[in-house]
Amino acid sequence: MTKSSAQKNSQQKITQHSTAEYFAKNLQQVGFSSPVKAVLTTLKESVDNSLDACEEGEILPEINISVKRVGIGSAKNTDLIEIKVEDNGPGIDPEYLPTVFGEYLSSSKFGRGRCSRGQQGIGISAATTWAQLTNASGVKVISKTKAMRKAVSCQIDVDIKANKGAMKEKETIDWDRSHGTSVVFRIDGRVQLNGDGGLLTYLEGTTLVNPHLTLKYKLLDNEPVEVKRVSEIVPEIPSPTLPHPHTMKLGEFMTHAHLFGKMNLQTFLKKGFSRVSDEAIKAFVQNKLPKSFLQKPITSTSESEFKTIFQAIQATELQNPSTRSVLNVGEEALSKSIQRLGQVDFFSVVARKPKICDHKPVVVEVAVARFLAKQNLSDEQSAVQLLRFANRVPLQFDKAACAITNAVESVNWRVYGLAQAKDNLPFGPYVIAVSVVSPFIKFKNASKETIDASDDLVEEIRRALMQAGQKLSRHIKREVSAADLERKLQHIEKFGPILVEYLGKVVGAPKARVKRAEEGLTKLLGRDSKAAENKLSVAETELAALKAKQKDFNLSVEESLENQEEIVQD
Amino acid sequence: MLRDLEHAKRPVLEAVKCSLDNSIYNPNVGYFTPGKKMVSTELNVSSVQKMARTVFFLDVLLNNIQTGAVNTKRELYYIAKGYVKSDSRLRPLDFDDQNESDAIIQFICDMLQVYREEMNCFANDRGGQTYSKQLIVTESLGDGTKAEVDLGSMGTTPFQPKNKPQVFKLRSRGKIDFCLVIESEGTANTLVSNGFTKRNKCIVVGAQGVPSNGVRGWVKTIQDQLEIPVYFYGDLDAYTLQNIYRTLKAGSAASLIRNQDFSAPEVRFLGVLPEDVKKYDLHCYPVSEKNASDMRSLKKARDVLQNDPFFHDKRNKKLSDILNWLLKNKVRCEQQALFSINPKDPTTPEKVILEKIKNKSYV
Repeated sequence: MTKSSAQKNSQQKITQHSTAEYFAKNLQQVGFSSPVKAVLTTLKESVDNSLDACEEGEILPEINISVKRVGIGSAKNTDLIEIKVEDNGPGIDPEYLPTVFGEYLSSSKFGRGRCSRGQQGIGISAATTWAQLTNASGVKVISKTKAMRKAVSCQIDVDIKANKGAMKEKETIDWDRSHGTSVVFRIDGRVQLNGDGGLLTYLEGTTLVNPHLTLKYKLLDNEPVEVKRVSEIVPEIPSPTLPHPHTMKLGEFMTHAHLFGKMNLQTFLKKGFSRVSDEAIKAFVQNKLPKSFLQKPITSTSESEFKTIFQAIQATELQNPSTRSVLNVGEEALSKSIQRLGQVDFFSVVARKPKICDHKPVVVEVAVARFLAKQNLSDEQSAVQLLRFANRVPLQFDKAACAITNAVESVNWRVYGLAQAKDNLPFGPYVIAVSVVSPFIKFKNASKETIDASDDLVEEIRRALMQAGQKLSRHIKREVSAADLERKLQHIEKFGPILVEYLGKVVGAPKARVKRAEEGLTKLLGRDSKAAENKLSVAETELAALKAKQKDFNLSVEESLENQEEIVQD
Repeated sequence: MLRDLEHAKRPVLEAVKCSLDNSIYNPNVGYFTPGKKMVSTELNVSSVQKMARTVFFLDVLLNNIQTGAVNTKRELYYIAKGYVKSDSRLRPLDFDDQNESDAIIQFICDMLQVYREEMNCFANDRGGQTYSKQLIVTESLGDGTKAEVDLGSMGTTPFQPKNKPQVFKLRSRGKIDFCLVIESEGTANTLVSNGFTKRNKCIVVGAQGVPSNGVRGWVKTIQDQLEIPVYFYGDLDAYTLQNIYRTLKAGSAASLIRNQDFSAPEVRFLGVLPEDVKKYDLHCYPVSEKNASDMRSLKKARDVLQNDPFFHDKRNKKLSDILNWLLKNKVRCEQQALFSINPKDPTTPEKVILEKIKNKSYV
């Protein structure tokens, strides 16, 4: 082979592919690895987008979902499923529709350091691609902004070769709402309602961490359900704040510095970061930052000097990153929201203060609840239901590797009164919900199913769980005391007479002695049951104190639940 | 108890604490004796069930003694169940499984400081199959008669002691040089089949694993009456040393109150010794930390070195050295390894055993 032909051959091998081509071939990486997951992921991406859009537009979200089986799928063993998600969000300007639904990595959120659900702009385009690959047509969209008189209806396909969205069948229509977006996907899939990967599990989870959401849904042939909001406050998505110096690695720190141009180091540190005050700069100097560096322009700072500066900063204790950059649900809202999932026997919620884990601010919130409907024998012996959330999005697959699962398993729940085999999920009719919110969550994969289990994060989640466990144990302690009392009373009735009768028999004692012994026994054991009664009343007092704290949440929820009609009649 | 109850005072039942932390080992005594710790059960709502069961079982056992009836623990379990099932008032006493009734029987014996055999409760016979061409056993029976058993005239059939008190008088036809207790009954049988007892003036006893009370009492009788050296031969592993050999020689923590009659302090550990592994190039197995059962046995060995007063005693230092060697080298060697030294000669194990006795290669 001549040199030129060899060159030609190698040129033929190296070709450029668009991002869309890559994802079209690797949809399993973004949540489309099975027909069941395809349905869930499509629904999830649509709902995430709706919720994010409503929050951006400061609108209380009202989302309407329907999932129908409309035929047989093109692939073997699949159904043709129609997923419709309609929101009352701000709507999308028609010119952006192809970008939003048909282009990969086109998010307005990519790399911004905000706690939005979507982060990269992959999900909804992947759903469109799946619809296109399995049913030969993309997503049908209706959208209307406040400024538009009529709504736009169209179909968006992904131009896979060019990573561009293509708009088809565009028409303007009358739509009976002032603003909003409606998407309809028809895809190959299979519907699973319950269990870890089920649609109902997803919807319950979404309900739990979005107290401000009113959700109406109709799944297959089931009755339509409406879950009303329990909070009238739209969560304010914090604006991105300046980064915290401890959230950066050396390379990021240097790149960040170059953005600030001809500034001296002291000014750069104060302007470019949060939590860097004059006091902090003094502390850097104490931690071996040469004072002479402070007035030096950052443009003429060498790499080794940057390293010295960076090391001094890392060695200095700084105030926690601003809580403003992290969004949380809050204990109160969580307490109200958990009661929308069913009749709760008792619950405990814990919202931790923001912490730095893996150089990023993180807020962990935990809710543990026992549901009345779940209390049958099989639930006593099966593992608790664990709901995992990352930036308020339920995580439903690959549970074992997740930081949240690791943290739950590492807690010794036995001390709080739950049954548990060592290093496993505890047992019982409980739901443990753990929400991790952070501007940058470290996921293990692009489909965002598992949070990377770093030691820092696991420890932070563990602490939240332990606090929740302590609160929970007061309820359980009361139950244990009550059961103990019952058991003791029964014991006396059952065994006392046998003991005395056989003692009399063995010794050959006359009836009068046996009778006296019986009376003595009753006296003795009566004292014991009094002690158990006292223990019970102490446990009850402790519990009442805890309940008083939760009273405010409970009252308002009970009222709103009473007024609520769960099932909407057609 | 009845008197206390009449005065509305809480009755307390006390028993010797039968556990390793209440075991004292004095090499001059030779076996574990109980320390001062007691287990006491005071009547309260939690213990009323145990107390009712104890008194109920005491009645059953006393009745057995009065009538001369004899039962095993399993029979007693079913007898108790029978009473309970047929009388609705007794229903709460019901035993879910035999462990529960066994524990009550044990508690009664510990409390009264008697053997369970003294309460007419016997275990099944296990182990102790004995072979000898010289040994003659005379047993005094309960009815006053005597039975003489000449082991030399029993052909291939072994003599087996019962797992209940027996009165033996031992004598020998000519001199007996030694008694060899073998951990595995199978191995004992093989040695005898290969002519061990024909060629040697000896007694061979198969222990069949952890020695039963019968085997322990029997070996003590041989040691005390015949005054011959007694050797134990078994696997080179932690279980054999601490559970089988130690129990045979010094008794166990669970039977603290009866070790006096059920231990043979003169028994020597003939092997397998670590030095035999090297000398005879014996096949060893690795003991792996990854294997759950091996892991447990290593942990047990460490525990024993830390907590067992028998292995703490300096006169048993050579035994604890073996445990340390096992922990360090993480291997085990089966007693049957002797058979593979020279597969063509079935008498090799016999030669090795005799050589070891001659060279005093034992602990």
